[in-house]
Amino acid sequence: MSTSIKPQPQGRVGWATWATFIIAALFVWSLWAIEFSPARMIQVPGQLAEQLSFFYPVDMAYGWDAVLPAIVESIQIAWMGTLIAAVLSLPLALLGARTLFPRVARFVKLISATARAFPEILLAIYFVPIVGLGPFAGALAIGISSVGMLTKLGSEVVESIDFGPVEAVEASGGSRWLALRYAVMPQVLPELAAHWLFRFELNIRASAVLGVVGAGGVGGVLLNTLRYGHLDKAAAVLILTIIVVLIIDMISGEIRHRIIRG
Amino acid sequence: MAIPAKPPRNWWLWGGAGGFLLAMTVWSAHGIGFSLNELFCNMGMGSRLLNESFPPDFAFLPRLFGPFMETLYIAIIGTVVGGILAIPIAVLAARNLSLGKLVWFADRNFMNILRTLPDLFWAMLFAAAVGFGPVAGALALSVFTIAVISKLWSESLEAIDMGLPEAVRAAGGSWLQMVKFGALPQALSQYVSYTLYAFELNVRSSMVLGLVGAGGIGMILETQRANFEYERVTMIILAVLVAVLIIEQISESIRKRLA
Amino acid sequence: MSSTQGAIRFSKANITYPNGVVGMKSLDLEIKPGEFVVVVGSSGAGKSTLLRAVNGLNPLTSGEVEVDGIAVPQKQGAELRALRKRVGMIFQDFRLVKRMSVMSNVLIGRLAHVPGWRAMFNLWPMHDREVAMQALERVGIPDKAWVKASELSGGQQQRVGIARALAQEPAIILADEPVASLDPVTTHQIMKDLVRINRELGITTLVNLHFLDLARQYGQRIIGLRFGELVYDGSAATVTDEDFRDIYGRDFTEDDLLDEGSEG
Repeated sequence: MSTSIKPQPQGRVGWATWATFIIAALFVWSLWAIEFSPARMIQVPGQLAEQLSFFYPVDMAYGWDAVLPAIVESIQIAWMGTLIAAVLSLPLALLGARTLFPRVARFVKLISATARAFPEILLAIYFVPIVGLGPFAGALAIGISSVGMLTKLGSEVVESIDFGPVEAVEASGGSRWLALRYAVMPQVLPELAAHWLFRFELNIRASAVLGVVGAGGVGGVLLNTLRYGHLDKAAAVLILTIIVVLIIDMISGEIRHRIIRG
Repeated sequence: MAIPAKPPRNWWLWGGAGGFLLAMTVWSAHGIGFSLNELFCNMGMGSRLLNESFPPDFAFLPRLFGPFMETLYIAIIGTVVGGILAIPIAVLAARNLSLGKLVWFADRNFMNILRTLPDLFWAMLFAAAVGFGPVAGALALSVFTIAVISKLWSESLEAIDMGLPEAVRAAGGSWLQMVKFGALPQALSQYVSYTLYAFELNVRSSMVLGLVGAGGIGMILETQRANFEYERVTMIILAVLVAVLIIEQISESIRKRLA
Repeated sequence: MSSTQGAIRFSKANITYPNGVVGMKSLDLEIKPGEFVVVVGSSGAGKSTLLRAVNGLNPLTSGEVEVDGIAVPQKQGAELRALRKRVGMIFQDFRLVKRMSVMSNVLIGRLAHVPGWRAMFNLWPMHDREVAMQALERVGIPDKAWVKASELSGGQQQRVGIARALAQEPAIILADEPVASLDPVTTHQIMKDLVRINRELGITTLVNLHFLDLARQYGQRIIGLRFGELVYDGSAATVTDEDFRDIYGRDFTEDDLLDEGSEG
């Protein structure tokens, strides 16, 4: 531990200094490239403060009438998306476990890595023309893009279990399937459920933005209020979103802890 | 020896949980108009869309270079600004280092509130405040980066060995000196690792920031999507995916080396 | 309880592992129904290999092993499962599903006795529940039936392991170092349970043991292995220290005795 506060050897430039220098250079170059000049920088705080002043008074009537239903829709999208992902990822998580299915696992892991690379909003761009504008497209996009991460995490859970009981089931004449049912599932199900809940928390945030491409939820409402400069209404969107997400995070987090403690 | 009867299940708990899950699912499915029927009926539509999407319009590729670089600039600025601002926020949110209960409590809640809003919300807000363009994107990602790094890193800071910081304090060092010499060096590698992780997330989200007018490659994506040029949309998305995967691979290999 | 026999016969059986290690070398061995056999040898001598060959967990490289005159199938499948149904196994590390109740763990021993769909949906016939409960009674812990397996002590967990094997209503029980992770007092209790069950039900029992004094105290017949070869086969009553020296290929030390130094 004390090594880190030793004085630097004189005359030699450490890798950390080099890294800092390179990052600083990249940073300045990036600022220059997007024309974020010092003059512009000075303007920004003033602009932010000015816009912030339009947030008040918050239009809560709009909040209850238009925003809350949209948030509810976002929750529904997240729920169905998570459900789709949970159902699809359960068998994939088992197949993706190296310890259970060494040959298939590589392939499954490749698929899940590809699925994870797609941001849900890009998937929604494809689902919207297929099933039409609206929340159904959003749920499908969320579902498919969550499958990747849930499969990866699920496979890791399966790989970490105690394999003794699997052999015990097989030694008593039970089939592979029964070994999955009696030795693997009881061990992994609580952890998997916790991952599903955590993914639900993330998916609420993800579904909130899908409205931007017309896939339902509260994102479209925010985009419209901002587009027409109704900042008092936008403030209602932000406040309600923050409150609802905080509440759901809290409840879901508590349930997760209980599930894991068993 | 007495054989105990099977204890009754906790029907209230199990029934309640099962009922809740079912109710939630029915309500949600109904609310969003979920129907497998619709999905399968529209498979024809899907295959038509796929037809339109392939082959991707490779001639479009050169025009992507400029916007793609802009995306990278946004991600770099967001990571650097957010990474620096996250340091004080994370320190004050670590129970063992913070300046008193009140500061700790306030900072922790501030951090949690930052985390509730998705990246695109910040992008929309900054686009409305400072105008469309990459500056809005860079600001949005700065906030998003603070949220990601401060939460993860404050947990690492809470897990450090307090012997050294206390020694600095005992030797007459100020709070700032204690944090700087006693605490931060212990969690430095985690900081670097989380910052790289935030950079990966930023590259990924900077690709879509343009959908709400916050600069980068997403802005082209939005115009092509609005015009139903799906051959170009597919080209953009493929290019984005390849770029994201390459950057992630590099970043991940650096993170592994640090670990 | 068990309907039948439980004779085991090895003829010219060989097992070589993929890494070249010889686990069993031209073994000829006959075990009669109802015998209580203790297998000894230093670690790596092939004790586990011998046991695991009986229920096909370790396939033979050549030769044959028979249970009641029927060759143990060397491939996965229905025939092998049918054999394993008649052979219960007890493990050093218990191999229980710790999150499930004791009853659910014991019912695992009934998996091969009920139709697959019933097992899949956890719909156990009354008869099978009774068999499982009787098995728990036989090892003296029926009161723990609905307790979670993780809440039991090591000795109790091993009793659940034994009950799981008994629930199979097996002709043979294979106990692979059943006491290696237990303390001396519990060790004696578990060994006594195994001997009692062998006497009461006439189930052929093979026990791997590392401790020589336990082998002598509880064994009926002792088999000694060294580098996969049978080097001793005789009665526990007449086995001498000299024999043990031959089996181990060295002087045995107090590490090889359970009660040395503790209670004698």
